[in-house]
Amino acid sequence: MKDKLKECIAWLSGKGVDYADCRFVRRERESLQVTDSLVDSFSRDLNTGVGIRVLANGAWGFAATAIVTPGELKKTAAKALQIAKASAMTKYEPVRLAEQEAFVDHYRSDCKKDPFAVGTDDKIDLLVKITGELKKSKKIKTAEASMVFYKTNKLFVSTEGAEIEQDIIESGGGFYAVAFKAGEAQKRSYPNSFGGDFATRGYEFIEELKFLDHTERVREEAIALLDAAPCPGKETTIIISAPQMALQVHESCGHPTELDRVLGTEISLAGGSFMTLEKLNKLKYGSDIVNITADATTAGGLGTFGYDDEGVKAQRTPLVKKGLFVGYLTSRETAPIIKQRSNGTMRADGWNRLPIIRMTNINLEPGDWEVKDLIADTKDGIFFDLNKSWSIDDKRLNFQFGVEAAWEIKNGVLGRMFKNATYTGITPEFWNSCDAVCNKKHWHVWGVPNCGKGEPMQVMHVAHGAAPARFRNIKVGVNK
Amino acid sequence: MIGKEKLFAKLEDVLAQSKADQTEIVFIGSESALTRYANSHIHQNVSENNSKIYFRSVVGKRVGVASTNSLAAADLKKTLADSYTIAGTQPENPHFPGLPKPAKYKKLVTFSETTAGTTPRDRAGIVKKIISHASKKKFTMAGSLSNSTDEIAVLNSLGVRAYQPVTVASVNMIAMSDTSSGYAAGTARDITEIDFDALAARAVEKCNRSQNPGEIKPGDYEVILEPPAVSEMLEWLNYVSFNSKPYLQGTSFLSGKIGKKLTSNQITVYDHALDDKSLAFPFDFEGVPKKKVVILDKGVAKGVVYDRAMALKDKTKSTGHALTPDNAAEGALAFNLFMAPGKVKREKMITGMKKGILVTRFHYLNGYIDPRNSVLTGMTRDGTFLVENGEIVGGLKNLRFTDSFLRAFDSVVAISKEVERHASWWSAVGCMTIPTVHLGSFRFSGKTDF
Repeated sequence: MKDKLKECIAWLSGKGVDYADCRFVRRERESLQVTDSLVDSFSRDLNTGVGIRVLANGAWGFAATAIVTPGELKKTAAKALQIAKASAMTKYEPVRLAEQEAFVDHYRSDCKKDPFAVGTDDKIDLLVKITGELKKSKKIKTAEASMVFYKTNKLFVSTEGAEIEQDIIESGGGFYAVAFKAGEAQKRSYPNSFGGDFATRGYEFIEELKFLDHTERVREEAIALLDAAPCPGKETTIIISAPQMALQVHESCGHPTELDRVLGTEISLAGGSFMTLEKLNKLKYGSDIVNITADATTAGGLGTFGYDDEGVKAQRTPLVKKGLFVGYLTSRETAPIIKQRSNGTMRADGWNRLPIIRMTNINLEPGDWEVKDLIADTKDGIFFDLNKSWSIDDKRLNFQFGVEAAWEIKNGVLGRMFKNATYTGITPEFWNSCDAVCNKKHWHVWGVPNCGKGEPMQVMHVAHGAAPARFRNIKVGVNK
Repeated sequence: MIGKEKLFAKLEDVLAQSKADQTEIVFIGSESALTRYANSHIHQNVSENNSKIYFRSVVGKRVGVASTNSLAAADLKKTLADSYTIAGTQPENPHFPGLPKPAKYKKLVTFSETTAGTTPRDRAGIVKKIISHASKKKFTMAGSLSNSTDEIAVLNSLGVRAYQPVTVASVNMIAMSDTSSGYAAGTARDITEIDFDALAARAVEKCNRSQNPGEIKPGDYEVILEPPAVSEMLEWLNYVSFNSKPYLQGTSFLSGKIGKKLTSNQITVYDHALDDKSLAFPFDFEGVPKKKVVILDKGVAKGVVYDRAMALKDKTKSTGHALTPDNAAEGALAFNLFMAPGKVKREKMITGMKKGILVTRFHYLNGYIDPRNSVLTGMTRDGTFLVENGEIVGGLKNLRFTDSFLRAFDSVVAISKEVERHASWWSAVGCMTIPTVHLGSFRFSGKTDF
C-alpha cells in the first residue's frame, strides 16, 4: 500500500502542487450489546480507503475513495487537484503551512490482550451476567451492557517525504439500568454514561473495569432515584465527580481552545469561541489552581497517538496554566497565525474525512485534595455525578449540564439523593470559582468516543484526565 | 452509480452463497461532495466515493451482522461468512421476529440528474454568489453546500428486493457582522429547487437587523419559533420519545399516554416518508414499506414508530422505520417528520404579537434532562429578535431556554400556513417539514454575552 501512496504523491508532485498527502486507513470495529440478558446486536465492520489532500494555487482540495487500485487512486488524486483549483475561485489569502519535520516511523499503541482475539463467548457471557445482575429487582425495567473495540492501521505519505505507519487498538464498554415506576423512569450507569469508558488499550482495560463489582450499586441507585427529591433551584457550592468533570473540560475548555473555531472556520456547524486571539496569555480563564493540558502522549488515553493526520508528532501543550489561558490546539495551517508551529491536533475520523483540529487528551491536572476531605470541608452543597444532559452556546460561554444523580452535602456529609439535577454557568466565571481539585489518586483519563465536529460530520475519539473538583456559588436546579 | 441491475446481479450472487436460514443484504452506495466556506472564502472542499454493505445472517433465532465498504467479490463473500460465524456464537434471541417477506413499494421520483452532475466548479460558483450578498453589506458569510448521489438497496433470502437511487442537495449559510449573525438553510432532491439568492438575502437581513443586540432578562415570554428552531426540537424528541425503544422502556413522554391529550389541539405531528413535500423515500433498512405514522393528532398522543423487533415486543406491526443493521439496537426513528401547518401567514404572526421574542434557530439542544416530561434545553443562535407592538424592534443577545415541550406547545397561539424543509443528519432518506409556531409561553432560563 505504501508504494501505491508514494506513486500517487509522485504524480501530484509532477503536477506542481504546493503540497499533498495521502492517507490509507483500515479500521476494524467489533460491537456487542446485550439487553435484558439477550444479545441485541453483535456486529463487525471493516472499513478501508484512501484520502488525498492537495494544496494547489494556495487552496485545499480533498477526495477519498474506498477503491484502492492504482488507477482509482490516480483518478482520486486528479479529483482532489480539480477541487483545490475550484476552491481557489473564492480564496483571498494563500494557505501557508508551518514548518514540519518529515518523520519516517511506525507507532503502535499499548495493548496487552488483543480484544479481537478474546473469545466471543467470554464477552457475551460477561455482558449477559451484568444485565442479569442488574435485573435482579423487578423495578429495573431495562438493563443494557455493551462493548466496542477498534483496530486501526494508518499509513501517511506526503510530498515533504513523511512516511508514517500507526497501529492503534481501542477498547471500551459500560452498562446502565433503567428503573421504572408509574410516571417515573430513572437511569444509572457505570463506569460512565453513554457507552461507558474507553482507552487506547486492549481487553485488559475491560477486565480492569470490574463490571460485576458495580452492578448492585448501579441497580440500587437507579431504584433510589425513583423516590428521590427533585434538585432544588438555588445558588450553592458544588462538587463534581471525575467523569462529569471530564465532560466539563471537554465542552468549556477543549472546544473553545480549538484554533479553527477561534478563526471562524467552524461557524457553519459547531460555532466559534469566546477565547479569541487577543485573549491569549491575558485571559484569567480560571482560578490559580486550574491547570489544563492537551497531552496526546498520556498513557492509554483515547486521544493518544504517535502522529496526527498531518504527520506532526504527538505532544503535550499547556492550555491553561495557574488559571491563565496560554495555549490553543493548532494545525500546520492555523499555527503560523499565532507565530507558532503545529502542536499536532489534526485528526480525521477515517480515510474519507479531511483532518481538522480535534482534542487529544485534554486534562485537568490533579490538585491536592482527598475526596473525603473535600466533602468533609463542604458545609452546604451538592455533589453531581455522571452526565445525563449537556448544552453550551456556540461560543462556549453559557453551559448547562444535567447529571444522573446528585447528593446533598450538609455539614461535610453526603445526605439525601436528588434526581434530574442540573447546574449552569458562564465558562470563565465558573472556572474562576474553582477552589479545590482532588489529587492523582482520584484522577482518571476518561475516554469520550463520540465528539462530533465538522461537515461532513466527523466523530472523534478523545479523552480527558480529571479528578473531582469543587466550585462556589453555582446556580443549580434549572430543569423546566 | 452502479445501477439496479448490475448491483442486484452482484449482490444476488453473494446471497446465493449463504448457509444461514435467512440472510439480508443492505447496500448504501454514495458519491458525495461538500464545499465549506467561512470568512467569505472556501476553506474546505471534499469529495467521497464510498459504499457500505451490511450482511445479516439468521440461524434459528441467532443473528449476526457484519459489514464492509469493499465491493470486491472476495470481501463480500468473507463478510457474509463473518456474519454467519457471529450468528453461530450467540445464544437464541426469542424476540427476533425473522426477516420480512417481499412487499410492494410506492414509486417515487427521488433522483435529479442536475444534482448528481453538480461539479466542484458549480458549487464554487454558487458559493461566490451567496458570499456576494454578504459582501454588499460588508458582512462575511460562512456555511456549506453539499450534493450527493446515493443508491440504497435491501435484499433478503425471502425475496425482498428494494432499490432506490436518491440525490440530495443542502445548503446552510450564516451571515456575520461584528455583533450579529443571521441564518438560512435549504434542502431538496433537485438542486435547482433551492433559491440560493433568496436564502442568502434572508441570512443577510437577519444579520443586519440583529446588529448591536440588546439584552432581555430570562423569563417566560411569548415566542415565535421559526422552522429551524422547531425542527431542532422535534429532532431530539424523535430520538428520545417518538422511537419505540424508549417508548417501551418507559422513558418517552408518550409511554403510557396514548389516547391522552398532551398539547394544544393545534399541534399535529406525523411521519410520512411517502409524501414528496418531504425528501420522500419508500422503504426502511429492513425493506419494509414506509407507513404514515401520526405521533400527535390535534394534541392527542397517537403512536410511535417501529421496526420489526420493537413491533414484536409491543405486539404490533413494523411501521417501516428500521435503522441500518449496525444501529438496530437503537430502536426505530422517524426520518420524515411533519408538523401540520396552520392558517396564519408568517408575517401576521409578527404583526399580531404585542411583546415577545422571535427565534431563528437553536444551538446544542439536549433532550436527556427529563425525557419523560419532554424537557429540553438549548441556546438561541443566529438571529434572536425582540418583537414589540407587531414589529421587530431589534436583535437580542442569545438566551438559554429550559422548558417542557408539552407545556410550551400547550400554549400555541398560531401556526403558519407556510412550511419549510430542513435537513437533518439522516438527509438522504428524509428531512423535517415544519411551519413557524407562535407560543403564548416559553421559558428562558439563562442568557449569554453575545
